[in-house]
Amino acid sequence: MKPAPFSFCAPGDLAGVLEALAANGEDGRILAGGQSLVPLMNLRLVRPEMLISINRCSELDYLRLEGDSLVCGALVRQARAEESDLVQEECPLLAMALPYVGGQANRNRGTICGSLAHGDPLAELSAAALVLDGEMRIAARDGQRTVAAEDFFLDGLTTALQPGEMLAAVAFQRQGGDERSAFLEMGNREHGFAVAAVATRLGMVGGRCEFARIAMLGAGPTARRIRAAEEILTDSEVDDAAIERAVTAAHDIIEAPSDLHADGEFRRHVLTTLLERALRQAMAGE
Amino acid sequence: MSDTPNYVGQAILRREDDYLLRGQGRFIDDLPTPGDTLHLGFVLSPHAHARILGVDGSQALALDGVTAVLVGDDLAKLVQAPFAEIEFPGYHVHGRDVIARQIVRFVGETVAVVVARSPYLAQDAIELVEVEYDPLPACADLESATSPDAPQVHDDIPNNTIFKGDFTTPDFEAAFEGAEHVIRERFRSGRVGGVPLEPRGCLALPEHGDGLVFYSSTQVPHLLRTALARFMEHPESRIRVIVPEVGGGFGTKAQIYPEEFIAAALALKYRRPVKWIQDRREELLTDIHARDHIYDVEIAFNGEGIVQALRADITTNAGAYSSLPFGCTLETTGGARMIVGPYRITNYTYNARAVATHTAPSGAYRGVAQPSCFMAIEGLMDRIARQLSLDPAAVRLANMVPTAELPWTNVVGVRYDTGSFMESLQRAMEMIDYEGFRKRQPADRLVDGKYRGIGIASFTEVSGTGAPGWRARGLVRMPGFDSGIVTVEPTGKITAYVSHAHAGQGHYTTFAQVVADALGADFEDVTIVEGDTATTPYGTNTFASRSAVTGGGALIRAATKVREKMRRIAAHVLETASEDIVIEAGRAHVAGVPEHGLSFLEIAETAYSMNNHTLPDGDGYGLEETDFYDPPLVTMANATHIVEVAVDADDGRVRIENYAVVHDCGRLINPMIVDGQIHGGAAQGIGEALMEEFVYDGEGQLQNASLLDYLLPTSEDVPMFKVEHIESPSIDTVGGFKGVGEGGLIGAVPAVLNAVGDALAGLDININVKPLRPTLLGNLIREARRDRL
Amino acid sequence: MPEKIEVTLTINGETRRGLAEPRLLLADFLRHELGLMGAHIGCEHGVCGACTILIDGRTARSCLHFAVALDGAVIDTVEGLAGPDELHPIQEAFHQNHALQCGYCTSGFLLTTLEFLRRNPDPDEDEIRRALTNNLCRCTGYTNIVKAVAEAAAALRAAD
Repeated sequence: MKPAPFSFCAPGDLAGVLEALAANGEDGRILAGGQSLVPLMNLRLVRPEMLISINRCSELDYLRLEGDSLVCGALVRQARAEESDLVQEECPLLAMALPYVGGQANRNRGTICGSLAHGDPLAELSAAALVLDGEMRIAARDGQRTVAAEDFFLDGLTTALQPGEMLAAVAFQRQGGDERSAFLEMGNREHGFAVAAVATRLGMVGGRCEFARIAMLGAGPTARRIRAAEEILTDSEVDDAAIERAVTAAHDIIEAPSDLHADGEFRRHVLTTLLERALRQAMAGE
Repeated sequence: MSDTPNYVGQAILRREDDYLLRGQGRFIDDLPTPGDTLHLGFVLSPHAHARILGVDGSQALALDGVTAVLVGDDLAKLVQAPFAEIEFPGYHVHGRDVIARQIVRFVGETVAVVVARSPYLAQDAIELVEVEYDPLPACADLESATSPDAPQVHDDIPNNTIFKGDFTTPDFEAAFEGAEHVIRERFRSGRVGGVPLEPRGCLALPEHGDGLVFYSSTQVPHLLRTALARFMEHPESRIRVIVPEVGGGFGTKAQIYPEEFIAAALALKYRRPVKWIQDRREELLTDIHARDHIYDVEIAFNGEGIVQALRADITTNAGAYSSLPFGCTLETTGGARMIVGPYRITNYTYNARAVATHTAPSGAYRGVAQPSCFMAIEGLMDRIARQLSLDPAAVRLANMVPTAELPWTNVVGVRYDTGSFMESLQRAMEMIDYEGFRKRQPADRLVDGKYRGIGIASFTEVSGTGAPGWRARGLVRMPGFDSGIVTVEPTGKITAYVSHAHAGQGHYTTFAQVVADALGADFEDVTIVEGDTATTPYGTNTFASRSAVTGGGALIRAATKVREKMRRIAAHVLETASEDIVIEAGRAHVAGVPEHGLSFLEIAETAYSMNNHTLPDGDGYGLEETDFYDPPLVTMANATHIVEVAVDADDGRVRIENYAVVHDCGRLINPMIVDGQIHGGAAQGIGEALMEEFVYDGEGQLQNASLLDYLLPTSEDVPMFKVEHIESPSIDTVGGFKGVGEGGLIGAVPAVLNAVGDALAGLDININVKPLRPTLLGNLIREARRDRL
Repeated sequence: MPEKIEVTLTINGETRRGLAEPRLLLADFLRHELGLMGAHIGCEHGVCGACTILIDGRTARSCLHFAVALDGAVIDTVEGLAGPDELHPIQEAFHQNHALQCGYCTSGFLLTTLEFLRRNPDPDEDEIRRALTNNLCRCTGYTNIVKAVAEAAAALRAAD
């Protein structure tokens, strides 16, 4: 279990990284924290010809507010975000999701953008990006584009990123006003890889839910929004009846895959349980 | 053994810790590797069953740094196909080529070896070896493997039945038919493995022409050396096996594997150092697996819950080959012979079979058979209790052999010399407030939204097996004895050599405690040497909870001989009778006159002719004695585990809330280390009960050959274990020790299963399989609740 | 085959240089190029934690890093914990509590504990268990490791 040979470069700025990406096309891969990529390289399931480290690009290491957004550059490590007051205050949902990402040693090195770009179907941050209306800022030598988080995750380990492109930043919507959030996850061990997870975000105005965002992991081939449940809660009080209706609506549209770790029917049941718990926990303001 | 031990029984901190904590333990991959070392890489079969049509290594050979690509026929010239030497009625002995020649029989079987300058290059070369296969239908599933249309694993083994055995007591039928009640159940035990944190590896260094120094991460250096010599037809005296620090064994490393033969043979062939370090994927695919058992059992009992007769039909998955050195029946005959446990079951019959499938070979993993057979018998005890509305503890107590009736010989002829079956159960019940739990527990078991239950496992633990025990199971070449050499050096310090090899058990500490007491020496003066065939005497080595019994016994015997000689020398020098000499605390002196004595140094100088004293008549030079110890059939320890669990009604997860163990391994050498063995075993048992399982699909593909997918328990999945001991010293063994290595695991599996069964009893959910993963329990709970609406 | 690249690291306070081809894992570089054998390789896919070291003061899996990508980094390994005469308080607590058996996973646990106790000097049992949950031990059943971490925390607090 050793990686296949590759060439390596570590440009000092983003322009250099994008140049290297363009030059290598499909054969180039970005190395940030490596926590998703290197296991696959060790198993030789991924074998780039050129590995382009962004670790010398200090310009990508920023976490800042831009208008309604909290923007996180490609070199922001998960642990740093987890410990950041800015994240705690502006995007508490993100702060709730981060502790579930790998272990401390993984979060110390792994980046937010790296996890998102990897596109693991059970990656906590993909659910967080969905409920925080994430805007994926994609850079390439020949220009930049943005893609909504919802259009970014296409399938397991497949994202909207094209050869020559990298995820240079992600902008999360700031959680202002009276927002209630919860992130819950269940795995086969007390701590481990998710079997299912739910992220919820409720914008409350005067006791009513003005907007709702619900995303699930394990409810389809990628993280997905559960709009049917969001719609039931929107413009409604979030009482027992509404929660029950939202959970039922979610139950009917979950397409949970079966795999080694859980069968689909069980996943669906767990997801509805987690949704109910998450909504109650969010409303309890815990 | 001296009458007043100073060290045995003490929780002495380990000598091993200092170097291990500093990162200075030298494990196999930490050893200095000569610059011209050749690194091996193995090409593994992706098919569970296929004909090998051709292997083309030319592309791999073209790679700079790759020196050879060898196939089965090449290795067959260097190594005969090793086979486990089993002589047992109903057993089909078969060999396994170290590299498959015509047919591959499980995913992960070696089809070629590459030889390269570095491990990275070896991996590159593996990818370039082209193997052409003709895939054949595979049979991976135990349930269907004996059906007439199942694919055959070996042409000469009909119905894939490698072994079949049976036994019955004369009055079985009458007792069974005459009983008031019968419960039948099928228990299904999932497939697991030892998964030590350190994978396997070896380093073969040629020396002095055809000599070989062979380092291996093994538990069985002497057995390995003999096997290398025998199957390579190389003089055993030209081979030295050394065991470096070993990162966990658990039985997995007590097997002798094809890679070891290949590395040894190629080092001799190329006359160059050869190294191989296994990676985790290879470990999960190719190391021995265990369990994968079906127990169809019927128990007949009277209205008081007293067992009248037991019938067991046991099927175990042997995998594709009998592994070395135990063959594939350890778990088959083991379960059949151990299932009666601490209970007075006198009418018994079994049918047991080992079945070949296209899966990894099975072998000895901690607990061997006992987690499964006690899952069955302890599960039945709970079912008797439920059927008769009795308490499960009461049913057990009513059936146990009381201490007053020991020694007791069980129905298959195994003697329980001493023990504490009832006492260990009663004490464990007190530790965990069993009665209080039962009083608080509502009929529906629901407390704070979770199903809460308590489970008991009382069991016997086979340890310290001697030659008769191995013969009884057909292992004709398994010695049984272990041995020790105790040397008092010219400076009076002591070196003790023992035929064992540690993998974390703390032998440097515990054996030194034993030797110090047996010799009357200062603990600090005793050094233990093991794991090196050039310096240690021959033995059966380290597995199956044997070291304390066999190594301890051998060292006591050797030390006792040395002590007697020291006593004679001291008496001679001090001009008194040797009966008047007392040896304690590193000194020999005249009884009652402590100041009239000699230090070990002074005795040693006499023995080594380094002063002007003469030796007593009849005694030669030196202070060194060798002795052997072969324990009886087996040495039986016992224990009770009681576990409280909470089962989440929605997500099906089991949380262990409280865990008590009362263990009896006879005389304790080091209680701290014994506790550690129990903690670690119990954690593995919790893993086996709740999450661990190798899953093969219908084509024989292993679905979870990574630690992302084969789940091991972590710090959050296990509780603080509370452990107490009862000491019933063995009267059949030297030293009174019984083994302890496996009990933690053996008890945890049935205790956890019974606790979950108890928690879900209100829903009438029948717990008869493991592991109990959330998806299984969650679905069972949901269905049961739906049925109730 | 890509060229070897010179890598300079500050390891346990010492500047160390070596040559590494790009694909050489940090774990292999430390172990086989620099001779620091304390970090062990248990899975090479980032699950077991036996290869845990500190990079720039924080725990990391040395099997999930390429040496060439860390040029200039500050690395701490188990070899830097103890002095010649005495163990670090965390090591001492592991010794006193029999928190290691085979010792293969131990360096990873020690460094994980070191980072954890800097962050949380007075943890309760649940916090300790959560902090250790990404390091696998197959020998101890964790009971004594949890006790050792609690005792190490107390010792380090007392020393402050």
